[in-house]
Amino acid sequence: MIPDQLLDDLQTAQLLSAAQAAAIREDEQHRPFSLHYELRAALYLGVTLLAGGLGVLLYQHLSDIGHGVIIGSMGLLMVASFGYAIWHKQPFTWGQTRPASFVPDYVLLLGCLLFLALETYLQVQYNFFGSYYRLATIIPAVLFLPLAYHFDQRGVLAMGLTALASWVGVSIAPLSAFTENSLLSSRLGGAAVLLGLALTGAGLYSDFADRKRHFAFTYISLGANLALLAATVSLFDFYLYSFLPEALLVLLILGLSAGLVWYARRSHSYLFLLMGAVYGYITITYLFFQLLDSGLGEAAFMLGMLYFVGSAAGVIYLFVNAKKILRLA
Amino acid sequence: MSLKAYNPAWAYHEAMLHAAARWHRRGLLTPEQHQAIRARYPLEFYRPGLFLRIGLFIFTCIGAAGAAGLLALPLAEAMSSDFLLVLALLCALGGMVVLEVSIQSSRLYYAGPDNALLYSSLVWVTVFFIALAHDLVPVASRDFESLGNPYVLLVLGPLFTVFLLASIRYADRLVAGATYVLLLLLVVNALLQVPYGRAFLPFVLMLLAVGAHWLVRQFRKRPDYLYYQSCLTLLEVLVLLTFYGAGNYYVVREVNAALSGAFTSLQIPFALVFYVLTAVVPLAYTVVGLRRPSRLWLLTGLLTAACSVATLRYYHSLLPPELAAVLAGAVLLVLAAWAARYLRPARHGLTSLPDDEQPPHFNLESLVVAQTAVVPQAPQPGFEFGGGQFGGGGAESTY
Repeated sequence: MIPDQLLDDLQTAQLLSAAQAAAIREDEQHRPFSLHYELRAALYLGVTLLAGGLGVLLYQHLSDIGHGVIIGSMGLLMVASFGYAIWHKQPFTWGQTRPASFVPDYVLLLGCLLFLALETYLQVQYNFFGSYYRLATIIPAVLFLPLAYHFDQRGVLAMGLTALASWVGVSIAPLSAFTENSLLSSRLGGAAVLLGLALTGAGLYSDFADRKRHFAFTYISLGANLALLAATVSLFDFYLYSFLPEALLVLLILGLSAGLVWYARRSHSYLFLLMGAVYGYITITYLFFQLLDSGLGEAAFMLGMLYFVGSAAGVIYLFVNAKKILRLA
Repeated sequence: MSLKAYNPAWAYHEAMLHAAARWHRRGLLTPEQHQAIRARYPLEFYRPGLFLRIGLFIFTCIGAAGAAGLLALPLAEAMSSDFLLVLALLCALGGMVVLEVSIQSSRLYYAGPDNALLYSSLVWVTVFFIALAHDLVPVASRDFESLGNPYVLLVLGPLFTVFLLASIRYADRLVAGATYVLLLLLVVNALLQVPYGRAFLPFVLMLLAVGAHWLVRQFRKRPDYLYYQSCLTLLEVLVLLTFYGAGNYYVVREVNAALSGAFTSLQIPFALVFYVLTAVVPLAYTVVGLRRPSRLWLLTGLLTAACSVATLRYYHSLLPPELAAVLAGAVLLVLAAWAARYLRPARHGLTSLPDDEQPPHFNLESLVVAQTAVVPQAPQPGFEFGGGQFGGGGAESTY
């Protein structure tokens, strides 16, 4: 319906010949309908449901006859998944591979999820790693990170980084980083900042050295978010001993935010600009209200409101002129 | 003053360039033609990328809240009784004025700040009407949460009018969706005033959805429909969801119980009709989505199918959840893998290859995996047996 109107206008403007318009109409009618993302979503949902369900079944049949069957089938399924992924593997390159099908990616993910479930089971049931329980979390990281590079799979990379973070003792998942790390002790805060910085560095390296450049987004978005969040939380924490003096924390956050803005320009990924602006804004607002003398009463309230209006206008100006400013920077 | 806040040519040029880019990618236009079309239909408005829009939206909200705070303090000192009414009115009007000026001066077109200003103004309008009705209505009838309260009309009526006018002028999809929801609430409120209204509620809502769908289709024939395209898309989804929801067994049974004030829901009359509707409507949506083909119908069909499964499981747990998860996961996996192979390159007008229409979102996919694939946490020392957490998807468990 719309293309008709558009095509008629183009023809009256003499920008399109009648034959071309007919060809376009034909193509609009018969262009195949892509189910690509629907199928990917279905595969991901299927993989997580299957691995999760099998994991639960394992514990519910601890004592009966089905137990061995479940373990055996999970092990077999895991081996089969890895086998299938290896069978369909593309030759290794430091660039991005172009596989013919996306199914092996998800089969590999299934193998990794089943590995996690089985490994957790061994630890919980047989105390497999004994008192070296932290080994249980570093093993997936050590396995998944090379697998991610080997198979060029960003989902496995994200799982490997999650495992690495849980070895350090923090949660890296974008949303649970906000909820589960609320008890960040000073020790973990320092570890989280260090890990975040290391991941950001790894991301920058993969971009600049052109070593799996398309992995950079995963590294930097997860790493920078973790570092900034941990630093911001300890900035706001009055009670716990902070792992860094406040001034250094502020410098760290502002520096990292500025770095993200700079990187956003380089990579044309405005997610990083948004992250840098939001964390930087939170820190500057915190500083402003620390300096604002609360004894001023109503005047302080008015000053605070003025600050919000003025600062918001400033950030909006920065965003609207982002292209100009970033090019100058 | 024109009825439309934005220049209607912007919507037209946008649609033209979008289509031309697609035809060019598919080799139906020569590069010279593509260039000529781009020169003839320039994009003269300002709309940055998604994340910049989100940032602009957030900071405009902060600025608007700060401005409201600045206004509130002197107002609260100057007057005590009608403080909220005046504040809401001033904020709503001020927001509208800034919105109009910034559209004129900066050529914003759903760029973030204009969305934020429109929404904040409408929120203040809502506050204004609720506060006004609160003052007018006798104390005993101030229970605005109950939809059966006839005085709710005093809030819903004016709000619907304002939202409808705002939708016509700004063609914002969220505002259009809110207008539709207000219309539904008005209908429900009116029906609950008449005897047997509650019994006919599902059928009236389904009829309403059919009528609204017809209206949406009529709208698509208007010459200025491109200006309202995003609104109509959202409205179509809402209409499909209304039709499904009004016939869904769970919704009908539980809403019926809630409206009659019962603590436990009982079997409803015409239950068979609702069983059939719950089962058939999602299938019909999905089939239409694949045959037409329409992504909107397909995705709505899949979403409602998930709701129907949840409805079934709510009243009859056929399988324990973990077994159901294993079976569903295996079936989904096998089916999707088979379809991915079968539909390559294309069969029956369907394909599993990516469409160049859709921008790749692979980057975000890895964040989704990081969020949902949970890795075992190191148990606390001395607690080795209790720890261990795993799961994923909807089957998260701790043992």
